Amino acid sequence: MKKHPLRLLFLVVITGLAFVVQPAYAAKIKVVTTLTDLADLVRNIGGDKVEVHSLATGVEDTHGVPMKPSFVPLMNRADLIVLVGFDCEHAFLPALLEASRNPRIQKGQPGYVDCSEGIAPVDVPRSTDHSEGDVHPYGNPHYMLDPVLAETAIHNIYNALVTFSPQDQATFTSNRDAYLAKLDAKISEWKAEAAPLKGVKFISYHEEWNYFAERFGMVYFGTVELKPGIDPTPRHIEELITSMKAEHVSIVVREPQFPEKVPAFISEQTGAKLVTLPIMPGGVAHTDTYIEMMDYIVTTMVRATGK
Amino acid sequence: MRILAVLILFSCLFLLINTAFADEMSELKEQVKTLTQAVQGLKSTVESQQKEINSLKETSSQSAALPDKTVPSTVVAPASPLASTPPAGAATQEQIKEVNAKVNKVIEAQKKSLPGEFNPAIGVVGETLFSYRTRGSAATGSDRPGGFDIFQRSVELNVAASVDPFATGYAVINASADPITGEANLEVEEAAAQTTSLPWNLTLKGGRFFGEFGRLAYIHDHELPVVNRPLVLDRYIGGESQTDGAQVSWLLPIEHYVNFTAGLGDKFGDPQNNPGVFRGGKELNYFGRLSTYFDLTPDWQVETGVSGLIDPRTVDRGGALVQPDGSTLSEKERRLAGMDFSLRYVPLRDNQFRSFTWGNEVLFSGNRYLSDPDAIPDSGDEFSKSVNSTGLYSYLAYKIDREWTTGLLFDFLENEQNMRDRTYAYSAYLTYAISHWNQLRLQYTHTDHNAISGLRDDDAVYLQWTWIIGSHSHGWQQR
Ligand SMILES: [Zn+2]
Repeated sequence: MKKHPLRLLFLVVITGLAFVVQPAYAAKIKVVTTLTDLADLVRNIGGDKVEVHSLATGVEDTHGVPMKPSFVPLMNRADLIVLVGFDCEHAFLPALLEASRNPRIQKGQPGYVDCSEGIAPVDVPRSTDHSEGDVHPYGNPHYMLDPVLAETAIHNIYNALVTFSPQDQATFTSNRDAYLAKLDAKISEWKAEAAPLKGVKFISYHEEWNYFAERFGMVYFGTVELKPGIDPTPRHIEELITSMKAEHVSIVVREPQFPEKVPAFISEQTGAKLVTLPIMPGGVAHTDTYIEMMDYIVTTMVRATGK
Repeated sequence: MRILAVLILFSCLFLLINTAFADEMSELKEQVKTLTQAVQGLKSTVESQQKEINSLKETSSQSAALPDKTVPSTVVAPASPLASTPPAGAATQEQIKEVNAKVNKVIEAQKKSLPGEFNPAIGVVGETLFSYRTRGSAATGSDRPGGFDIFQRSVELNVAASVDPFATGYAVINASADPITGEANLEVEEAAAQTTSLPWNLTLKGGRFFGEFGRLAYIHDHELPVVNRPLVLDRYIGGESQTDGAQVSWLLPIEHYVNFTAGLGDKFGDPQNNPGVFRGGKELNYFGRLSTYFDLTPDWQVETGVSGLIDPRTVDRGGALVQPDGSTLSEKERRLAGMDFSLRYVPLRDNQFRSFTWGNEVLFSGNRYLSDPDAIPDSGDEFSKSVNSTGLYSYLAYKIDREWTTGLLFDFLENEQNMRDRTYAYSAYLTYAISHWNQLRLQYTHTDHNAISGLRDDDAVYLQWTWIIGSHSHGWQQR
């Protein structure tokens, strides 16, 4: 041994390399998603071929997931980063991507999976400065609350998984088709269940429900926030209450990450029913999957109409 | 006067860029509108053709070897029960593809019409300090006058973009008023390129930038949690940790977050190194930081690090440093070590409305000087001595709601040239963030000097107004 320290070193290096190289084909596809709804979709399509981590746990604001350094090693090893897009994750994702030192998941790379691809955003701001608030610069990013648009996200995730691992395409295809069949059945169910929501007027804290309202025929009357990301002025609340009374707005939606005080006050002043609705799975109890969350939202909304 | 001119110049430049975009934007918006209407028409046709496609799909065998990128469901909504329009004639896959291509073009056009897609992201930060200090500058040692003072501390232009697929570049140009003359100094605070795709978890930064040391030394004035940079950073580093140099940052390839940064530069903070006539490697500044992070609970975080800075041979940096007793010191070696620790409460659910930070840094300075008691060079009484001094700051920041944050700051400082000269400062502040880009801060500071310094205790009240227009990035280092 003494005579061959170099040979020993060589052996160690080779063994080390074998360990490094081996997982490249044996391991699961490492996927990091920004939000829990996307993680659920990836799990459903990827099945046991993927290992999924969501940065958000479900209770966060979609625009305000804390930028934890503990996310960095996760993203450093990720094969794919799956995100909502439309700058929804502007407050935390760009810096985390920079810190991740992972060239494969940077914007423009195949590992950067923007689920908004193919979705036409609504409410694109007319001005290019911040007079319209800052959190929706490319239009409203909350399309995941429309289950039909969620299918576009499913397609984008499916494409990314197939591109990354073409040999698993058959698995991904059958998983996707099974999930889409389940989701389509659910969409029919929700549509039937949501019939009483047609024409019902509601407000919410943050501008979160544009796509949902359009899908289920509700009238999105306004928001507690003055602009997306900017808290209301007393005058805005006053005007909102006056117009809500005049227009018979019957539901006030509060997303769990926002304080209850102002929505409760508006509900009290107008007689509109106050409900708390999650914006991603895990936001409230019993909403662990995307389908469970949509179930919860539709049921709660219908119940709030009292019909 | 000159600062006003620069301000106006910046504003004009910004307006110009904005209007140019606004024109283009409205034009593009019109186009998009027309196209959107066309697409609506196409959309209903496509939906009605869905059933036809489904039957086509069934007949064609499982031959699709490529991912179905061409058929996003927004447009086609496959088998969606909500797409209930009856079929209106036959359609081929080709036609669908064509329609989809058109739709995607519209969407892409809409996305690209926002500024920053091809041009650098541009932003301007303005920061004005209105203050009242009970004693004049001779008694406080400050470079600002006592009594009422209005100080345009920054007019900062930020520009950033990708250089190529391998690097990003940015520049921060600041037109700040000279504290003594009041004249505007146009200074390049930072202008650096940073790699984006180096292997082995490495990032390389080069140019002029704020080198990594501790936690607040590399944060721009207007982004500090308090009005003024903590005394210890001002004294030991010289304000911002600006350097002309290069810095390598390495993320350790382990499951736990550990980051190591090392760099070298021609200067580090202020004052600059005297250039000398010929330099070996000893006249450069070498610096580094090792940092890590722990999630105590999902809501409580700890981040901590150690930093070091050494310039093994400084050539009388800052010139002859005159002491209150008339003697002088010339710096021969610069040595600085630091420890930083911050504890944060960032509730997952409502961190935009509630949070808490306790931030601390302790710095140890061990500079070596040539002391000259009679201040006459080469008179024979000179001797070499090292001064070991310590300084620290500790602050609390408590976010009460989305707009309001309040906090306390404690400063302790031993003069790095005379450790018996100690300063204590106590501050309380209240920050009102009208929005993300518009912020007011009110701060009260009491400063206790001691007799050796020749300075006198004083009180000061500051009102700081900071605003940002245009692009504002959230870099990892500035988090
Ligand atoms: Zn939003």
